[in-house]
Amino acid sequence: MAFTLTNEFKAKADKLRAGYPRPDAALIPLLQELQKDRGFMAEEAMDALAAYLGLPYARVKAVVTFYTMFNRAPVGKYHLQVCRNISCHMAGAPGLLARLREKLAIEEGETTKDGLFTLSSVECLGACGAAPVMQVNEDYFEKLDEKKLDDLLEDMRHGRLRGMAR
Amino acid sequence: MPKITIDGKTLEVAKGTTVLTAAQQLGVHIPRYCYHPKLSISGNCRMCLVEVEKAPKLMTACSTEAADGMVVHTATDKVKAARRDVLEFLLINHPLDCPICDQAGECGLQDYYMDYSRAKSRFAQADKVRREKRRVMGPHLVLDNERCILCTRCVRFCSEVTKTSELEVMERADHSFIDAKEGRALDNDYSLNIADICPVGAWTSRDFRFKQRVWFLKKTPGVCLGCATGCLTEIHHNEGVIYRIMPRPNADTNTWLCDPGRMAYKAAQAGDRLKKGVIKNGLIDLEPALREAASRIDEHHEAAAVLGSPWLSVEDNAALARFAKDGLKTKNYSFDFDPEQGIKDGILINKDPAPNAAGARKVKAAAGGLSFKELSAKVASGEIKVLVAEARAAGLLKEELKAGGARLIVFAMNRSEIPAGAYATLPYASYFETPGTFINFQGLERRTEPTAAAAEGVKPLWAVIGKLSAYSGGSLRLESAQDALKGI
Repeated sequence: MAFTLTNEFKAKADKLRAGYPRPDAALIPLLQELQKDRGFMAEEAMDALAAYLGLPYARVKAVVTFYTMFNRAPVGKYHLQVCRNISCHMAGAPGLLARLREKLAIEEGETTKDGLFTLSSVECLGACGAAPVMQVNEDYFEKLDEKKLDDLLEDMRHGRLRGMAR
Repeated sequence: MPKITIDGKTLEVAKGTTVLTAAQQLGVHIPRYCYHPKLSISGNCRMCLVEVEKAPKLMTACSTEAADGMVVHTATDKVKAARRDVLEFLLINHPLDCPICDQAGECGLQDYYMDYSRAKSRFAQADKVRREKRRVMGPHLVLDNERCILCTRCVRFCSEVTKTSELEVMERADHSFIDAKEGRALDNDYSLNIADICPVGAWTSRDFRFKQRVWFLKKTPGVCLGCATGCLTEIHHNEGVIYRIMPRPNADTNTWLCDPGRMAYKAAQAGDRLKKGVIKNGLIDLEPALREAASRIDEHHEAAAVLGSPWLSVEDNAALARFAKDGLKTKNYSFDFDPEQGIKDGILINKDPAPNAAGARKVKAAAGGLSFKELSAKVASGEIKVLVAEARAAGLLKEELKAGGARLIVFAMNRSEIPAGAYATLPYASYFETPGTFINFQGLERRTEPTAAAAEGVKPLWAVIGKLSAYSGGSLRLESAQDALKGI
């Protein structure tokens, strides 16, 4: 599958690049930009971006695989990202993950058949003071418990979380 | 210049010197995995932790600059405990396959385990993270991700030395592993250095894998004859068989060694090594082959010519010069080789593929002779009826030989070397089997040492020339390689 960077993206990227001293410094913002367009980072996209920035492909892939914020496969309408690091873990994240697994009948890294939910566990979201935390797409939901989680799922199912869906 | 005290010994070092290199100057060894003198400092393995007075925590010696008045302790209980703990982490997911690992015997994990740990693992074999064990990565290497401790020496080598950047660390934490782009071969010309610098058994050489336990190998200093760079090497052999060639790092020419240079020993041990003479296409014993060659030379004594070779040692070129001057008493000889020299790829590989053009010129300076152009014109015009030459040097006159129709008598090591149309071929011992002096592109004189015995009946080239001269012309009284040098 051939993949080419759109002119629109290139125009944006050139502007972004100008703000950084080295091409590899602009890598993460450009990857975020690229992911915004397609929702995930295909191999071909990484290849094209590497060529565009004059970086080795392996460098781009290493950065993409390091961060859980980059998706390597298409995700559902709501991407549920439960923090698995120590504060959240101690505050009950494993219970939340187990409940999501059970209610959605999927494992981590999977998407429900209706394409509504993708479940992931991710590294520290930097909100330890409000643990346990779950990020849905770009928004944080903090100090969660099972009741709050259930309500949140219902809201998402019925499209009541405005401005959130992709 | 900062003065630093390490384990009670004080030393003044240049500004910018790290604690690790300062310790090295004092003869204090600090253990390390990720540090390599010729690569950038990464500081990820944490094995080189040392105690610095007034610093709240242990410091990595590889990345800490020596400062004036710094007092360092490298062997306190605190340091030893830290190193033991670091090793425990490094070994958490390390497989216990030392018995089948090629690195065993020269492995950083084994060595430092004996020095610092000797602890029973607290991690059950069943809990270890499993990874792919034998990934063929390119023509020369196999990668075992399970054994890897992620020191990133290989990643830095590919990005800093070869600048090909094939490798990176993918994923993070205990998911991480070394990988290249899918389908892209790790095929740069220096890939085998990765197996050398890998401190554990993650990268192994496909050529050396499972061939020999390293503690059986004997090590002889050598010189690479793959090109005019003339890198210093170390030849690893056992019972007359060469198993691998490693670089012998030195300030003059090389830290690394290229892959073609490492594989050069293959030809010396190849199945097509000549043990007998060849007349046209038929193998015959050396003595009759010599007699046949000599009588062909005698037919055209005054129209015979001798060509030196940049692939031969100074001694063997000198023997050829003696043969021309004192044996055949001809003026038709040339030791004039002046190819373009210099590093081709910015690392090691030279523009000149022959190791000893300068050595041949040294013989020319002493023995005189025609320029290469003059000789090739004489060969092309048909004035020369018989040409005696080394096989690869004869290749330089391929077209002229075809045009002039001179009979070609060549010295060759392998059957595949014999040029088309050669009349007689005489075998000789490789420079793994006989000593020789070579002069590299910088004018540095280097000597090879024999590591293996030549097959029965195969003699060094100077001895073959001595015999040939005895049959045709006159005795040169060559008893040793040194005798050849005397006459010129």
